[in-house]
Amino acid sequence: MPKNAFTNDKITPTHPVMARCVVFHLLLTKKRSTRKNKSDQASGQKSSDVACRGSAQSADTHNTLIGLCYKMSDNEHPATDMQENIKGQIPKESPPPSQDVQSDSSADVAPTRKTRKRPENKPPPEVQESPGTASVAENASKASTQTTVTQGGWGSWGSWGKSLLSTATATVTTVGQGLSQVIEKAETSLGIPSPTELSGQMEKEDDAEGTIPSPSSSSEGKPAEGDGNVLGSAMGMLSSLSSVVQSTSKTVISGGLDALEFIGKKTMDVIAEGDPGFKKTKGLMNRTSTLSQVLREAKEREEQQTAKDVTSETEKKAHYGMLFDEFQGLSHLEALEILSRESEAKVKSVLTTLSGEELTTLRDDLEQIKESFSLMEFDDEEVDDPQVDDGESFVKELTDALKKLHISTTAERLGKARKNAFDRIMDMKIPSEAKQQQEDGSEHEATVTRCTVEDVHFSAITSLAELTARSIEQFHKVAEMLLHTSTDGVTALEQAKVLAQITVVLCKEISVLSKKFTACLATVGSNEKGEVLNPLITGVFLEASNSASYIQDAFQLLMPVLEVSHIESTADSSH
Amino acid sequence: MAYAYLFKYIIIGDTGVGKSCLLLQFTDKRFQPVHDLTIGVEFGARMITIDGKQIKLQIWDTAGQESFRSITRSYYRGAAGALLVYDITRRDTFNHLTTWLEDARQHSNSNMVIMLIGNKSDLESRREVKKEEGEAFAREHGLIFMETSAKTASNVEEAFINTAKEIYEKIQEGVFDINNEANGIKIGPQHAATNSTLSGGQGGQQAGGGCC
Repeated sequence: MPKNAFTNDKITPTHPVMARCVVFHLLLTKKRSTRKNKSDQASGQKSSDVACRGSAQSADTHNTLIGLCYKMSDNEHPATDMQENIKGQIPKESPPPSQDVQSDSSADVAPTRKTRKRPENKPPPEVQESPGTASVAENASKASTQTTVTQGGWGSWGSWGKSLLSTATATVTTVGQGLSQVIEKAETSLGIPSPTELSGQMEKEDDAEGTIPSPSSSSEGKPAEGDGNVLGSAMGMLSSLSSVVQSTSKTVISGGLDALEFIGKKTMDVIAEGDPGFKKTKGLMNRTSTLSQVLREAKEREEQQTAKDVTSETEKKAHYGMLFDEFQGLSHLEALEILSRESEAKVKSVLTTLSGEELTTLRDDLEQIKESFSLMEFDDEEVDDPQVDDGESFVKELTDALKKLHISTTAERLGKARKNAFDRIMDMKIPSEAKQQQEDGSEHEATVTRCTVEDVHFSAITSLAELTARSIEQFHKVAEMLLHTSTDGVTALEQAKVLAQITVVLCKEISVLSKKFTACLATVGSNEKGEVLNPLITGVFLEASNSASYIQDAFQLLMPVLEVSHIESTADSSH
Repeated sequence: MAYAYLFKYIIIGDTGVGKSCLLLQFTDKRFQPVHDLTIGVEFGARMITIDGKQIKLQIWDTAGQESFRSITRSYYRGAAGALLVYDITRRDTFNHLTTWLEDARQHSNSNMVIMLIGNKSDLESRREVKKEEGEAFAREHGLIFMETSAKTASNVEEAFINTAKEIYEKIQEGVFDINNEANGIKIGPQHAATNSTLSGGQGGQQAGGGCC
């Protein structure tokens, strides 16, 4: 049993079961630590000292953990008194340093544990919700089995905490009984066979301790038993009882630790499952180069979920690939690929016909062009604050860049796609803002209710698909114009750099769009559950990532086209 | 949007014969008297039903200008059907048909169904090419023939749909190898319903990969 793993630091009882187990565990560890500490003391009454302190501390810890509000001093000294009364010959001794440390730490820990106990009752409902919504289809079966186990445990433990607390405060003498009930309850709810003997022994102990007059001593009844072996060795009359107690407490402890291990593991699983967006959110916040990977993983999970979720109409509706195709993005990509492939073949054939200096020169030229295609860097962090972006800068930037290509092509359709996207955002945003500003507009209220997260998601995917399709179209048109007309006054290398710049502008715009739409999703869906909202947000980011990939791929397809353009223009100039 | 087959069409012919207008009429059911010159290729798509089967027509509307010829030729490959269009009010567009036909036959698969279209049939008063001439040319070269009007929409649907029927018949006859996408035919998603939900974002990639 890895007891040393369960130190105060490591075990922060996250719910009553854990706290319970910690109690049992601490009964053992305290005993050990006190033994260890004891060696520092030059005292002759080792065992009695240990027994005394041990019981006091255990009681103390126990009480603290279960949320009793006794002050340490109130507890400790009566306990010591009790031990003195029993043994009759324990020298009065100022509390050893170790005890101070212990009580200090207990005092420190006590409030936190108490406060933590309350919110602990919160996780279970959340956990219960996640399988309940059944949106976590992928792990639904797994989760539900797990949670039924934990639900049962948590539920009864929650009531245990309360009942014990009330028992302890109301009738101090029945604490022992309360505990035995607790153990029964714990073990039934955890599925650990309940040792009936145990409760029997416990009751006996209660009786034995019933002789002790001090109320505080009876409140420590149980912890004192935990140290019963030490106590027993000091006092022969209790030895038989204490050995029984020792064995029972061992059973409880080992059972408790097993349960703790089990519950701890399950809790982690449940927490992880309770927030499926956690991993993605974390990944997205980092915005590292693995973003697309994170998104893809998230999307895969989402797809598996939606595959089981028959009612997922939104997913069907907001199908990026279909929308991208509807905007003729696929056709333009296909056409661009054809041109790229044919250009590549042309370049190869030209290279085979050349030799000597001509070949070296051309190779160098082509190498330079290639470089501008590999140097393209897109830093997502550079994206300007979307708030100040009015869309004109996007069109202007594109138009200026396209002019530098010296081919007749405009950013008109891209500008329109961009405008459409922002019109969609405004349509969704204005109602909510108007709602805040003007209360009278009942028609606005209607629009607010009409705009669901699914609508926003659909708009987002549509906008991304449209802007991406137009971007591909733009590149396709550039390719056609490059092949169609000989470009004067600009080199292919310069054109390559301009195209890289255009790619960055386009990808930035995609990023801005995705951010705007996810912000919109978060606003509109502020009342939605994470299971509803997170997949939608993830979906938008994923398709934005897809969009950027499409655009960058299309940009790469332009390389052979520019090479052909370069070959043709140099051939023209040489004539 | 599930379809049993996807047919790729190309529209070819001299500049100004009304290729883009035919496409616009077919896809959007509207007529635009002044149309920008097509650069390279533009696209249109529409779903039709033949023999109870949903068929998606993916139409590549090519530029008619001579200067774009070398580029547009690249797009012929992988077309299942072609609409070869001339203008009944301009004899030169009819005279160029042989060149267009040679080009098309050379750069596409031999089984491609070609529909000869005499457009602008609404301009009867300015007719330069008789209907019989068109029919004769079609017969001679093994084409289907129709006179259409993109303006009045006369025969536009029929032109596109009859071509599709011909392709469909060829599939039934086993002339077309539908598994070879170079023939301009794609089989729709087998389990359309599940696929559309399953593929999600993959859809684009799958389709994108399909044309590589």
